[in-house]
Amino acid sequence: MSIAETTLVAGYSVGDGLVLAAALFVTLAIAMLYRAIMGPTNQDRVLAVNVLGTNTVVILALLGAALDEPWFLDIALVYALLNFLMSIAISKFTVERGGVI
Amino acid sequence: MIGASASPLVLQSVGITPFELSLFVFVLITAVLTALFTDVLASIVIFAAYSLGLSIIYTFYHAPDVGLTEAAIGAGITTVFLLLTIAKTSRPTSDDRFDSINWPAVGICTVFVLVVGSTLSAFPAVGDPGSPILTNADVTGYYLQTAYDETGAENAVTAVLAAYRGFDTFGEAIVVFAAGIASLLVLGREVFTT
Repeated sequence: MSIAETTLVAGYSVGDGLVLAAALFVTLAIAMLYRAIMGPTNQDRVLAVNVLGTNTVVILALLGAALDEPWFLDIALVYALLNFLMSIAISKFTVERGGVI
Repeated sequence: MIGASASPLVLQSVGITPFELSLFVFVLITAVLTALFTDVLASIVIFAAYSLGLSIIYTFYHAPDVGLTEAAIGAGITTVFLLLTIAKTSRPTSDDRFDSINWPAVGICTVFVLVVGSTLSAFPAVGDPGSPILTNADVTGYYLQTAYDETGAENAVTAVLAAYRGFDTFGEAIVVFAAGIASLLVLGREVFTT
């Protein structure tokens, strides 16, 4: 029996609580879309998506603990790395127009 | 019966949890925004956010390989490729944040979604023992039994995607190569660089 299956309160396990936390983080992600939509500049949007990427890593880690699936962390790691790549590429594109790679 | 040696699948009920619901809303919003933004750079940035949400969905539904591929292709490579594309083309400048919506196109898309959606009821339920994948055990059973010996991949889906499907990818590579050659012929150039 993993820690995710331990009963917390009134029949709800720790895993349920973690999934609920993940759901709240996704709701936060929807709220973050406000900055991505309103901008006003594209730098704001890049920053918003960067925060969303970090948010994704947290959600995947929470889900990995809640569902007792350690390999979720592998995907979280890949995302943490690639999110960085995306930010660098867009920043470089903005600074020196056309120089992506 | 196939998979007799493997542990029985733990099937979840098909009901949508609040987590999935908020994830669907997120993906839907980002997808619509990607189509609506006038500035293509903003579209690319939002598309990366869409890819983030999609990857969580894939991972949540226990498809780690698809989730990883979406992470690598959707968020990483596609963004760079799209940026390279708009670096070499001109961007339309407009003061409007969103494009005007093409309602006839929306209507056609809705009809298409309804036509495709009408086939949904033909799918077998999750874990239905009468579903074709379980009744035609010859094909699935072969891959489940020999995938590890032949490819060394513990996950049968990964084995099919990465190893058996390699022949398919090989064919795709030929198609892409031919398309590249054809583009060069049409453009009258000898190399891809400008």
